[in-house]
Amino acid sequence: MARRWVLLALGMVGVAVPISVAGAPAPGRLPPARIVSINPCIDAILLEVADDRQIAAISHYSQDPQATSIPLDRARRFKATSGTAEEVMALAPRLVISGGHVAPATAAALQRLRIPLLQLPVPTTVSESIAQIREIAAVTGHVDRGEALVARIGAALAAARPPHSRPIPALIWQSGGLVPGSGTLASELLERAGFHNLSADYGLKQWDVLPLEYLIARAPRLVLSASGTNGRRDPQLAHPALMRLGRQIAIRPFSFRLLQCGGPTIIAAMARLSAVRRSLAAS
Amino acid sequence: MIAPRLTAEAISLQIGDALILDAISHAFSPGKITALLGPNGAGKSSLLACLAGLRNADTGQAMLGDAPLLALDRRARARAIGFLPQVADVHWDIDVETLVGLGRFAHAQGWGMSAGDRHAIADAMLRTDVTRFAGRVVNTLSGGERARVLLARVLAGQPQWLLADEPLASLDPAHQLDVLALLRETADAGTGVILVVHDLGQALRIADEVVLLRAGHRVAAGACAEVLTVATIARAYGVTVEMGTTPDGTRFIVPATRLAALVA
Amino acid sequence: MSATRLNLLLIVGLAGAMALSLIAGKVWLPIDPFVGFGQGDDPRWLIIAELRAPRTLLAMILGAGLGLSGAAMQGFLRNPLADPGLFGVSSGASLGAVLSLYFGFAGFPLVLPAFALLGAVMTMLALALLAGRSGSLILFALAGIILSSVTGSMTALAISLAPTPFAVSEIITWLMGALTDRSWNDVWLALPLTLLGAGLIALTARALDVLTLGEPAARSMGVDLARMQWLVIVGVGLCVGAAVASAGVIGFVGLMVPHMVRRVVGGRPSATLLPSALGGALLLLLADTLVRALPTVSELRLGIAMSMLGGPFFLWLLFSLRRQLP
Repeated sequence: MARRWVLLALGMVGVAVPISVAGAPAPGRLPPARIVSINPCIDAILLEVADDRQIAAISHYSQDPQATSIPLDRARRFKATSGTAEEVMALAPRLVISGGHVAPATAAALQRLRIPLLQLPVPTTVSESIAQIREIAAVTGHVDRGEALVARIGAALAAARPPHSRPIPALIWQSGGLVPGSGTLASELLERAGFHNLSADYGLKQWDVLPLEYLIARAPRLVLSASGTNGRRDPQLAHPALMRLGRQIAIRPFSFRLLQCGGPTIIAAMARLSAVRRSLAAS
Repeated sequence: MIAPRLTAEAISLQIGDALILDAISHAFSPGKITALLGPNGAGKSSLLACLAGLRNADTGQAMLGDAPLLALDRRARARAIGFLPQVADVHWDIDVETLVGLGRFAHAQGWGMSAGDRHAIADAMLRTDVTRFAGRVVNTLSGGERARVLLARVLAGQPQWLLADEPLASLDPAHQLDVLALLRETADAGTGVILVVHDLGQALRIADEVVLLRAGHRVAAGACAEVLTVATIARAYGVTVEMGTTPDGTRFIVPATRLAALVA
Repeated sequence: MSATRLNLLLIVGLAGAMALSLIAGKVWLPIDPFVGFGQGDDPRWLIIAELRAPRTLLAMILGAGLGLSGAAMQGFLRNPLADPGLFGVSSGASLGAVLSLYFGFAGFPLVLPAFALLGAVMTMLALALLAGRSGSLILFALAGIILSSVTGSMTALAISLAPTPFAVSEIITWLMGALTDRSWNDVWLALPLTLLGAGLIALTARALDVLTLGEPAARSMGVDLARMQWLVIVGVGLCVGAAVASAGVIGFVGLMVPHMVRRVVGGRPSATLLPSALGGALLLLLADTLVRALPTVSELRLGIAMSMLGGPFFLWLLFSLRRQLP
């Protein structure tokens, strides 16, 4: 009996603190009834923590099989916008949530029309992503669901932590040689899964293009090829020089979508990374 | 109304190492037709350009009346001197009446044409016999018709001096005679006319006075009959000529032989 | 057809296009918001007042400025294929705007247009320094090429150095040109600049006509070539600068519209000025309405739509020219 009261009290604190600390921009005390998201990564989080009826519209990217981070059948149940202020306006939302890059004109238009805009930049670390999940959960008034999601992410991270062994040198390679470096979310996920992101050793910045020469001079053990969702590998990775290195470098596909977002996609990303690690250890 | 005198005062022009004009001086007479003659490269077109205010002489200047030509306001200069260039560009497909109307640019006050403008345009088109082409696009006319339209443009500006660079070049004999008659008429009305021509026969026919140039120097200048003599022509052009008169009194001149050595 | 008749036709067309533009879009608005005047609660009224109306006006202002600039450039360069971009001013203005996006200032209001206008002004000054007082066409064209190359390469450099792919995408998207979500602030910025530019260009009208006969004849007729050159540069620079500052890079309007106008009113430069302005306004307004109302998932970028029109236009021009040749 006493435990129940303690839990209730904790629950109330749990509700109050995020709202006051995170500074939810929604006017008034009640959570907004209608939210529009214009970013596919935010869509993924929103669908986990909000009621369906709270979501007025999602981004059109979430209905595109190539760009979505949520199951298509769920995505198609919602209205989608292309992110212009005009379409958003017509839905009369209480809050708009977007990613970091919004066209200046659209942001200015929303401000003029007095529609609150919450901008959440692309998370660069796991803790940033978790903070964003909590913020969105607070704003929708479902802190408990937010915590549940955070817990599932925590479990996925823990499960993927390797037994005591040396980190495997690895790289993530997007088309054209684009490599996420240290200071990105992808890099942190790599490290947590027991790999060592070689990009810093090459001297690369946050996102940079890596010439094949450097790759060959100092080869990683694993290259995760993240060239789009159609699974086709980047032709550069079929370069004869790389082929010579053959057995020394393992090349495994990695879904491009898992790199972009954070949020619930972290769970799938960690699962994939630990599967790859196990297959490498076995070989 | 007689036009003010147009005078070249020791005009010299140098381009790079080449001396184009060497201290040319001459007082051109209004109401008369003066021909600038000379072999190729003598500097005729350059002298004409300096007289029109299009070129700055390196030393010396052109004078209109008592004032230096270049001291005049741009538009006053354009009203005083009408220049017909040798190269007859018409870049856009405009009709004849519009083109002739361009000649009123220096007279224009504000937007649109005044009654005086319209009268001058109609008069110019009448005198050059292009009235029937008024609505035709200029670039569809024959070479000769086009040349007359361009002359009409200059006449529409009612200038005090008319400077023309090879105005007869693309005309058939009938139209050459017509234009020569027109230039005579214009000069008789008080306008000063200066022509660059290369055909000695045309010069003989039309010019009251002649300035003969060779390699930037003035070889001779004065009344036509005095300058265009066999000896002077031989000195300037390096050819011997036959001169004569037709039964009805028209003078003609025909080049005969080339001289072996040019007399300086 | 006479110029006056064409102008009247275009004005009528514009009135119709304005009405269409206010109604059309992904959110088609029926007539009742117009009737329920001033009832602020209906969000559709706000859409019209704050989004559609300024966008419609802006499309007309920018289209008019670009069409007029094209006609002026073609008259000045005596070349029916001249385009307002030839001066390099639009590249310079783009560079300014891209730099504001690159350094992250663009979030603050009016910063991006200010940077774009600064880019335009500096390019005009550079043009002045390079081309000098001569009025020579070749020097001019060369100076324009130099400026376009330099500013274009610096823009590409900014894109390649952008810290994240998302920043790259933001810059490239802006460069493709659009009128989406523009506001009354953008109108108040573009209108005076375009009016001033148009006024300066209008002052050259008679001189442009005289230039038909070539430079020596024009000079002999009293045209001040240097003054005309500066009026054209500053006038075109203002119109193009205002367009880039408001909407990104939108090409082909200045190239296509005077061509079509010339077919109707003839080649006289001064007669093509006003119809080109009206025609440009109409073209851009219709194109913007179309991209807004098309049932594609996201709005087609306006600059892209104009390029897609440009290709077929020139193909048609090629065939009609070939028919005229022997």
